[in-house]
Amino acid sequence: MELQAMYIQVLALVIFAIGIIVAISRRNLFFVLMGVELALNAVNLSFVGFAKTLPAEASITGQIVPLFSIAVAAAEACVGFAMVIMIFRNKESVDADSYSDMKG
Amino acid sequence: MTYLPLWFIPLFPLIGTILLGTIAVVSSGAKKGPSEGLVGTLAVLFPALSFAVVAILACTMPEAGLRETLCNWIDIPLFRADIGFLFDGLSRIMLLFVTGIGSLIAMYSIGYMHGDRGFARFFAYINLFLFSMIVLVLADSLLLTFLGWEGVGLCSYLLIGFWNQDIKNCKAANKAFIVNRVGDVGFLLGMLTLVTIGGSSILNYDGLAAFIKMIFGANMVSEVVLPLSLAGALIFIGCTGKSAQIPLLTWLPDAMAGPTPVSALIHAATMVTSGVYLLARLGLMFSMLDQVLLVITFVGMFTALWAAIAGLLQNDIKKVLAYSTISQLGYMFMAAGVCAFDASIFHVFTHAFFKAALFLGAGAVIHALAGEQDMRRMGGLINKTPVTACVMIFAFLAIVGFPGFAGFWSKDLILERLFVSGPIVGPLVYVVGLATAVITAVYMGRLIIMTFFGKYRGSKESEEHIHEAPAVMLFPMVILAFGAIFSGYLWADSIGITFFRDSMASVVGEAQALYAASNAVSHVNPVIFAALGTVAALGGMFIAWKVFGHARIIGVKGASTVPEGSAASWTFLWDYIHCAFIAGVNILAWFCDVVVEKVLQAIQWTLAAIVEILGDGASVLQVRKVRLQLAFSIAGVALLVMLVVFSGGLV
Repeated sequence: MELQAMYIQVLALVIFAIGIIVAISRRNLFFVLMGVELALNAVNLSFVGFAKTLPAEASITGQIVPLFSIAVAAAEACVGFAMVIMIFRNKESVDADSYSDMKG
Repeated sequence: MTYLPLWFIPLFPLIGTILLGTIAVVSSGAKKGPSEGLVGTLAVLFPALSFAVVAILACTMPEAGLRETLCNWIDIPLFRADIGFLFDGLSRIMLLFVTGIGSLIAMYSIGYMHGDRGFARFFAYINLFLFSMIVLVLADSLLLTFLGWEGVGLCSYLLIGFWNQDIKNCKAANKAFIVNRVGDVGFLLGMLTLVTIGGSSILNYDGLAAFIKMIFGANMVSEVVLPLSLAGALIFIGCTGKSAQIPLLTWLPDAMAGPTPVSALIHAATMVTSGVYLLARLGLMFSMLDQVLLVITFVGMFTALWAAIAGLLQNDIKKVLAYSTISQLGYMFMAAGVCAFDASIFHVFTHAFFKAALFLGAGAVIHALAGEQDMRRMGGLINKTPVTACVMIFAFLAIVGFPGFAGFWSKDLILERLFVSGPIVGPLVYVVGLATAVITAVYMGRLIIMTFFGKYRGSKESEEHIHEAPAVMLFPMVILAFGAIFSGYLWADSIGITFFRDSMASVVGEAQALYAASNAVSHVNPVIFAALGTVAALGGMFIAWKVFGHARIIGVKGASTVPEGSAASWTFLWDYIHCAFIAGVNILAWFCDVVVEKVLQAIQWTLAAIVEILGDGASVLQVRKVRLQLAFSIAGVALLVMLVVFSGGLV
């Protein structure tokens, strides 16, 4: 049986939801970042899923773009982790709720 | 036949500037200045080489002139300008006396500036001036002329303020520079107007002539005469600034603060005549602008008369000559105003000789008296400095128009052209011009009598030191004196010599024929005008002799050379007018200050305050927790997505 595009979208939605819920509900900063990454990859998956519905030549273009997106996400994760580590050194804590210096 | 390249002419003074400038900079730290012999030789050599090139070209030049495009200068969309040179009958005459008199005055300066600490600097400036002046005259487009125009303005500024230890000299230099800038704005706007009318190609003189002919050919004179009049009037404002005409004439008397050779070269013979040159160069355009020509005629008339009267009241020998220069420039503008461009340039030519001779003579007198400029403390110098006296008396006879001398031919020619130019304006301007000639003879006679005749009025001990100038100063003076006597014979109308007119005809002949065609000109006998001019000159000299020959002139003790009392307000009337104008501008500036600084800024501050209050309100939403912040962001994105989805997306 051919893989239906719809199922890929549903899977992507589920993963995106899990990622967002993790990012919001967990207090550990590393989990927050992991949740964000999960949501990001869910979007990539959705992208590929949509690309699959197109004819082969156009589909290739759609499948290449997530590769860029993954590369950017990797770079962004590096920066994000570096920042978390720097903040951790100051705060001695990975609890997101204790990071409240930005409050106006 | 091949000709010498035209760029040789400006090249030599440029090399001179660079060499002398380097010497001046290198030696500025040394205790003793550079060798005056070396600097002086270099300073005279380069202008003289330039003069030689001009002389060779002048002899071999074809009738139509030489044109040479050196390279492209500006090439942007809608605007294109080349660096090109044009050597024709007009620039030939101008260049001959610019480089010739320039070399002579450089030579004179060796003696005059002897022992001055800025010796090399002075000659670097002089060479830079000659370079700029050559560019001004030789340029084949208005834009390049403007470059030279600014260059001579800069050199004028540098040389007026040459002795910059004295704040008065610096102020005079500033005044000259700023007043000239006012005129230059007019020049720039005039060029812009021309570009607006016909594109960048009509900035070129040949292009402009072709454009004007095209207009005549297509019979579209009435359509373009108004914008062209605007351009002409604006360019004329530039000329009034450079040539010290009403209303921008106040800088020239103050410019006498500079060394005397500078006054002779820049502020009498060459730079101040560049306005006349420009009018002649654009002759074809001006010949169709009747209103502008009328304005030029009257500006010239009033300037000539006013400056002559002001010259009567001066006691400073150089100030008298400065006002006399303004007055003579007024004559040239009068002539240009009736489209007698060849007569106008002829007077520029003869004036350059006799006025340079007068200034150099005055410089020799000042030199002999160790810096004394007040005529009330001179007198009887004819016995002490006979050569200087003779030079100045010959130049004096030339300027008053004594028969046979240079000024006689050129001034009478101008007066004749004025008279025949039109039915009502012509005779009126002629009468004023003749009256001015009488006054000229009076104040120049006063100068000669106060300086060279009677008894010496200075202190006894200074009388001991009076000495004739060295040979290096006398030689240029004598040559110029010969010029003052004989240069008029290039165009002696009464005895039938018209060499000068013929050599100019290829450039300005067309414009003058055009003007003559539209203005009824009746031919008159030039001998009558010569006779009347002679009567005016002799009458003026007689009055001067009657009034000043026997008057007891009190030798003053104080240092002031400025006229006091009512005479001062006469002389500096235009300064007051300028002050009034500046006050008006200040009021305008104050108004702008209130509007821009106060009202507009108040609006800005109000807006800024509103935005700040809004921002403070928004920052309340920034809650303590990072996670909640994230949730808000996601909710916001969701909201936006829903908005897009339900509104059908952005169309």
